[in-house]
Amino acid sequence: MAIKTYDVVVVGSGAGGGVLSAHLARAGVDVAVVEGGPKVNTRTDFNTHAMPYEFANRHIPTMKAGKPGFDSERSRGVGGKTMLWNAVAWRLSERDFKGRTFEGAGEDWPIGYKDMTPYYDRIEREVGVCGNLDHLEDLPDGIFLPPVPMKCSDVMIQRGAAKLGLKIIHVRKSTLSRATPARPACHFCGNCMAGCDVAAKYNSADVHMNPALKTGHLEIFPNSIVREVVVSNENRVTGVRFLDRTTLKEGEVRGRSVVVACACVQSIALLMMSKSALYPSGLGNSSGQLGKHFVPHMTGGVDVFLKPLIGKKLTADEGFLDHAYLPSFMHSRKRDYARSFGAQFGYQNRRSVGWARQIPGFGKDYKQAIKDKYPSYLTFSPYGEKLPDARNFVDLDYEKKDSFGLPLARRHVVWTDNDMKIFHDMQNWSKEILLQAGGEILSVSKEPNTNHELGGCRMGNDPRTSVLNAYCQSHDVKNLFVVDGSVFPSASEKNPTHTIMALAARTAEHIADRLKKGEM
Amino acid sequence: MADRREALKIIGAIGTTCAFPFASGELYGQHQHPAPGKQAEIGKPQFFTAAEFAVISRVADLIIPATETPGAVGAGVPSYIDLVVQTNEQHQTVFRAGVKFLDASAGGSFVSLTEDKQIALLLPLSDAVDRGELNSAGEKFFRAMKSMTADGYYTSKIGMSDELGYHGGTVLAEYPNCEIPEH
Repeated sequence: MAIKTYDVVVVGSGAGGGVLSAHLARAGVDVAVVEGGPKVNTRTDFNTHAMPYEFANRHIPTMKAGKPGFDSERSRGVGGKTMLWNAVAWRLSERDFKGRTFEGAGEDWPIGYKDMTPYYDRIEREVGVCGNLDHLEDLPDGIFLPPVPMKCSDVMIQRGAAKLGLKIIHVRKSTLSRATPARPACHFCGNCMAGCDVAAKYNSADVHMNPALKTGHLEIFPNSIVREVVVSNENRVTGVRFLDRTTLKEGEVRGRSVVVACACVQSIALLMMSKSALYPSGLGNSSGQLGKHFVPHMTGGVDVFLKPLIGKKLTADEGFLDHAYLPSFMHSRKRDYARSFGAQFGYQNRRSVGWARQIPGFGKDYKQAIKDKYPSYLTFSPYGEKLPDARNFVDLDYEKKDSFGLPLARRHVVWTDNDMKIFHDMQNWSKEILLQAGGEILSVSKEPNTNHELGGCRMGNDPRTSVLNAYCQSHDVKNLFVVDGSVFPSASEKNPTHTIMALAARTAEHIADRLKKGEM
Repeated sequence: MADRREALKIIGAIGTTCAFPFASGELYGQHQHPAPGKQAEIGKPQFFTAAEFAVISRVADLIIPATETPGAVGAGVPSYIDLVVQTNEQHQTVFRAGVKFLDASAGGSFVSLTEDKQIALLLPLSDAVDRGELNSAGEKFFRAMKSMTADGYYTSKIGMSDELGYHGGTVLAEYPNCEIPEH
């Protein structure tokens, strides 16, 4: 029997791979999705409603026993990180896409807001994003389901921020605030990131891939850990080689084109592992830019008790975690740094009381203090943009291998002057807002942390300074694409997944068009 | 920082991750969950000797005593501590040294002191820990002890549901509007 050659082989099944593969399959393109983890049944495999005391060591496992996938490795499983994300969905603004043009700092994308608008629209229609129309210059509105009311703590923070002239808005999330024919509305159980058992919160498996299986054009290879993208002597990729997750047996899936979409750092690692005579330092890396300009988000939270809520009766107000947001406001203000920050807050869930360690004293007073403060605790997390800088990069450590014998990726992160100025400013603003809201600050992060990994395989118009073109297509290898956070030339301060999904829709359309025209 | 990190790992394991300010190595899926330990039988420590366990139990109950709700011992916290310490050599050293320190400070046996005297021995340790000082074996022990007692108690059914009133998994058809007065 001849080995099947798919039109497109997609590595990864999360926000990038899941959306792209479904869109291609719906367009009649034969797609194979190769995913490192198992299929997940959202109805039965999560511990959405579990409590810590159901487990001897008080750690609620991400998935039920006997369902490997997310526990011991990095989010491997059909649906990828969309299974466990918090579902925040922002559109980037023109200022985010064209930072260098606006400010002389950062990096312009090869595309702008107008290029992305139809794809943001499409994703919002397919996914269901709740939110308010806020008419903000730096946070474009979209096609929204009704917003979910703010929590009392949000209203307090909103009033505190208003005293400083700052606007707090409803969060926008890919979680249904109204039922659709296919999915129920959110039931506000407050444990979104343990996995949503009814798929009211978007995940790429339930919303995109599973329905697309009915087209007959989509095939999923679960438990298949891709270790190499194969390139021919004619400078074309011909498919991928993988290891079976349990047997470690080698396998291969062939395709006329390959899309790498296995989450920022893992995609970079896969391309770096895919060495050949043509590309000795990694596939598609003639520019030497692969792994460079890693731009994760910079964060650093403030833990706080809101005094008006201390000693109040506990209510079932966890909702769908954060219900409000502080949008970026610094772009229009005088400051001594480039770019900006926004803030998420109130997304902690009440199953964790780790802060009780930090309350002084012991005995009856200590116990009473924790009971009193419990309803008032919240975490406020500003997110800042890290400017691209060659000193921030990802590479492979061939000395250290994972359990599949593959080299581990290393992240090299340097905090520059500009980064630290944003970090201090965003912390000062956070503290000031919280004080105005009646906050009693418990602790403030002393140093920045990273979250939302982005960059390292960036798009650009110049093949000497970027890895991909404006269609997420390799400058070097014309039938190779990358669609995930790694393609971001600059990060903005906004949660990236919504933009990854819109990019996936755009790339899918591009690939389908080229296939139809016989250009692949 | 180490303490905060430990706290974050616990929070992470419970599921508030994506938006949480983790160190990059602790993003969900990247950190290693400890293998589930054996369920310790209440009152039968796997790691501690009976004498050590008595001291651990007493200190835990002084940190979180019984009030209208049971305290640390009533919530099974000593067994939880025994379970966590079993698999961590660093903790083992800190706890063993701490028990020795308390017994020595008590002139032989911490548990046979009166409650007032026990509290008087712990107070300077607690104050030092609150000031961020971690020099002596006693201070290191008290901090580890307090952290694990808080973790164990407030993740127990008694601590989380009876004491704090959290039952989890509440299902709402609509999220209510917040009605709080302007001032």
